[in-house]
Amino acid sequence: MAVTHDVPHRLDELVSTAHRIREAVESVVEGKSDAVRLTLTVLLAEGHLLIEDVPGVGKTMLAKALARSIDCPVRRVQFTPDLLPSDITGVSAYNQQTREFEFKPGPVFANIVVGDEINRASPKTQSALLECMEEHQVTVDGVTYRLDMPFMVIATQNPIEMEGTYPLPEAQRDRFTARVAMGYPAPTAELEMLDVHGGASPLDKLEPVATTAEVRALIEAVRGVYVAQPVKKYAIDLVVATRTSPDLRLGASPRSTLQLVRAARAHAALSGRDYVIPDDLQDLAVPVLAHRLLPSVEAQGQRRLPEQVVTDLLRRVPVPETRAS
Amino acid sequence: MRLSVAAAAATLSAAILLYPLFEAASWFWGATGAVLAVLATSLLAGRLALPAWAAPPAALVALWIYLTASYAAQEAWLYVVPTKASVVELARLLSTGWTDIQRFAAPVPANEAISLLAAGGVGLIAILVDLFAVRLRRAALAGLPILALATVPATILPEPISWPAFILAALGFTGLLVADGRERLGHWGRAVLVRRTRMAATAERPGGSRPAMDTRGLRLSGKRIGFAAIVLAVAVPAALPVMEPVSFFTFGVGGRGSGAGNSISIPSPIANLKGQLELPERRTVLTYTNNDDKPRYLRIYALDRFDGEQFGMEPKGSPDDRTDNGPLPPPPGLGRGVKVDNVVTTVEISEEIAELSFLPLPYPPREVRVEGDWRADVDTLMVFSTRDEAAGLEYEVASSEPAVTGEMLESLPQSRSGADPRYLSLPDDLPPEIEELASRITADADTTYEAAVKLQEFFTKTGNFTYSLRTQGHGNDALRDFLLRSRAGYCEQFAASMAVLARVVGIPSRVAIGYTGGTKIADRWMVATNDSHSWPELYFEGVGWLPFEPTPTGALGQGSARVPAYTVPPLDPVERDTTTPTPGATSSSADEPVDPQARVNPRELDREASLATGGLPPDDSMPLAGKIGIGAAVLLLLLLVPAGMRLATRGRRVRALGRDGAETSVRVGGGAARPPVGAAWAELDDLLLDYGMARHPSETPRALTRRLTQSHEFGPEAAAALASIASAVERSLFARDPGDAGPVKKDLRTVRRALAATVSRGRRVRAVLLPPSTLRRIRLMGEGLLDGFDRLENLRLRRTTAAPKGS
Repeated sequence: MAVTHDVPHRLDELVSTAHRIREAVESVVEGKSDAVRLTLTVLLAEGHLLIEDVPGVGKTMLAKALARSIDCPVRRVQFTPDLLPSDITGVSAYNQQTREFEFKPGPVFANIVVGDEINRASPKTQSALLECMEEHQVTVDGVTYRLDMPFMVIATQNPIEMEGTYPLPEAQRDRFTARVAMGYPAPTAELEMLDVHGGASPLDKLEPVATTAEVRALIEAVRGVYVAQPVKKYAIDLVVATRTSPDLRLGASPRSTLQLVRAARAHAALSGRDYVIPDDLQDLAVPVLAHRLLPSVEAQGQRRLPEQVVTDLLRRVPVPETRAS
Repeated sequence: MRLSVAAAAATLSAAILLYPLFEAASWFWGATGAVLAVLATSLLAGRLALPAWAAPPAALVALWIYLTASYAAQEAWLYVVPTKASVVELARLLSTGWTDIQRFAAPVPANEAISLLAAGGVGLIAILVDLFAVRLRRAALAGLPILALATVPATILPEPISWPAFILAALGFTGLLVADGRERLGHWGRAVLVRRTRMAATAERPGGSRPAMDTRGLRLSGKRIGFAAIVLAVAVPAALPVMEPVSFFTFGVGGRGSGAGNSISIPSPIANLKGQLELPERRTVLTYTNNDDKPRYLRIYALDRFDGEQFGMEPKGSPDDRTDNGPLPPPPGLGRGVKVDNVVTTVEISEEIAELSFLPLPYPPREVRVEGDWRADVDTLMVFSTRDEAAGLEYEVASSEPAVTGEMLESLPQSRSGADPRYLSLPDDLPPEIEELASRITADADTTYEAAVKLQEFFTKTGNFTYSLRTQGHGNDALRDFLLRSRAGYCEQFAASMAVLARVVGIPSRVAIGYTGGTKIADRWMVATNDSHSWPELYFEGVGWLPFEPTPTGALGQGSARVPAYTVPPLDPVERDTTTPTPGATSSSADEPVDPQARVNPRELDREASLATGGLPPDDSMPLAGKIGIGAAVLLLLLLVPAGMRLATRGRRVRALGRDGAETSVRVGGGAARPPVGAAWAELDDLLLDYGMARHPSETPRALTRRLTQSHEFGPEAAAALASIASAVERSLFARDPGDAGPVKKDLRTVRRALAATVSRGRRVRAVLLPPSTLRRIRLMGEGLLDGFDRLENLRLRRTTAAPKGS
């Protein structure tokens, strides 16, 4: 029963902290509250975020703003074709004074890693990052270094300029908990942006509003959010539906089920609830599932995007039995 | 277009089943015209895109115009447009047809009135079929009116429906279904009718990873199933041993088993009697006219031998006693001085009577003019044949009924020398109680006649007997049981018991089996199966055999039985009724002064006398309006069943909520709060369905609240109530700790009122009377049944798919 009494208290704390972070981020990225909320959700769900959109809509700004508002180490890696794996993980260099090989940690040793234009790096480099994402550890020269908690990779990708890029394979896209598209800002937001950004960069003025320890506590609280059996079943139904849909060549993986439920927990906690409801899953299904799916040839012919397919599935799969028997 | 034609074809093919009901085919053309009129209206309505509700009234009008044009054209304006006179004419024809149908047994003559009735009926069925199949797109439901049409001959005619006609009707209906399926295919591209939900569900389920290829064989297998069902329906009954193979190859009426051997076939008269009495439908056996136009019992068998079990007979017919050799032997015991009523009766036996080789005759027959080899039994004056059958015969019989009165019988000499001793024989082991009973009844009778009257009175009055067809058994035990204990039976028991008691007190007796005088329809007396009867005949020296009537008459007994006047004991003069003549009076006794006893109203004898108003047909116990009223009431009750179910469900849920409401202040932990909140949610769900804004299966409580609040612009109170219900449901279903349920009952009421305000009055009425939620529940039950069949089919499919795919 200790949990039951504790959770609401921690939830209040969580909601207020999250609110602070959101406000801070939104002071930089105007009119993108959905994207900001999703970013926070992924952070609390211990996942990684893939931001995919055309250049110049604030992808990097969002990643940086989040990193800045939490008082934690942030590293940014600009992916280029000549980037090497060791440029990410770090290298062992020979120290002449100690006469030993000394490990120089790469940019991945931070709480938030922003990978810009991740599809520009070679597959080898990409996979080095992806290993860290999955395992939360780095192995260099046979020595394994654990990464610090929280660890979140925010990768951005440009879907337009595909020349000279190495698009992420499906298997690697699967490691991102969610994908978000920024979209162009509304005219009013854009106007405000002109006013604010006219002078100095607002990012510079951003003060951290939460500490790493606080974020860690938040993550811990999210883990305690209750998921009822029917809701778990609903999540499975949704994922399974993607596997049997005739519109999809590749359905979602079991890992995606896990991440969907984890994200739903965070989503519920952000709404101040200590239990997950089907609405959480419905809200998250498109960002969490769509980027892992491959449309079938027919669906491609009809220009049906995986997002639309998932939306359709949401409309078809019945919610958990809400009727009395 | 195709559907309309298919519906008309289905109706017409079912109408063919009515063929055996009519003598001529003219009705069929009338009915065809009516169906075509309905079809034309249907096509026109389709072309003009009339709303679904408008088509049936339009078709009714078309049918009316058609009937006017074909049956009352002279009265109509321009032969077509109905006028007041034409309406009157149609109504007159309809009522004539109605009485005709009541009067005639099938096959009825296809006169104008009956044709009108048939055409109108078939036209109405066509409208119903069109409504179901074309307007409501429920082709399968259209089978109901077609079935109603098909059951008409099945219930009226004794023969099974002939199979070619059945196949035609079944093909018509299958054609309608196929047309409906094709229409759907054309519109939607996929012929999935009932299992929509199921198909979608299996497609989304992990196990049911069966892609759309499955529908390929659907149409073919549908046709196969349809035809297989028809073939089975025809073939299986034929294979069963109880069915008569003879009637299989006859179209309509007339299947007749031939049993013309040389022996007399007596198909157990008693068993036959009971069988006829129990027939649900009146069927005409014979009609007759006589020169004094009075009903008379027509005797077929006289059972004179009593073996202790039951009465039997051994008729002997010598060639000298053939009917065409002149008058029959003289009636035994009839003295020369007794006045007789000479009656000439012309009898027509129905074609349908099978295996009757005895002639129904009024007793005592003197001369019979009939075709064929018919012989009379000297003792009993039964007339029978070893070669010929009575079916379809028309014959004339002269009989001379002794015109007896009570006084005359009382003054008869008390001797019984003339009767054969077999009329007095009783088994040795006759129970002594019966002898005691007989002597007790007749204790204060001075003459045999008085004793006979006392016996009859015992059965009709003092003994408190009741009439019931449910009695079984013969023999001493059955006799004792009937006389001393149950005192319930039908005419056979009454007749046999009275005969036995008469023998006990020394009156020669036998049991007669035949028909009562029947009922008068138009100018003929009609005798039907339910006029089958049995009565005792008692012998009095000097007048011979006289019928008695111990069976209760009237509505609670043998309907058309009549008590002979001479068997009535003298009553108080005040009660005497001078209007009813005796069944015996005729020309030869017309100049005689009327005997006071003969004028006693026989009706007053009986407990049920008031019901047995002489001459009325017995089945007129309830007026037509009453029947229609009861039918309408039953229909109404049936229609109210869904509403009742809905109310019961709501009541149950509200009660569950009430229990919850008592403890709302208490924090309900764990699963305890789940059922009541679930009840509220289920009720809300049903409410939405009833008001036509059903919750989509993928809609969560929250999403539902959002949708309703936005699209119906709920007030803050209703919105809050709805949100509170949704949140309670959400918590009870998904949260670790459901917490307080809140005043769910009150919220539910608020929401119901808010929802009701958003829909039209018609919707609200429908939600009460025909709630879709209840209909859905009923349909779900039906689908459960179908799923059962599906599982069987799956078993079969698994077997066939396991085999290598050759084709």
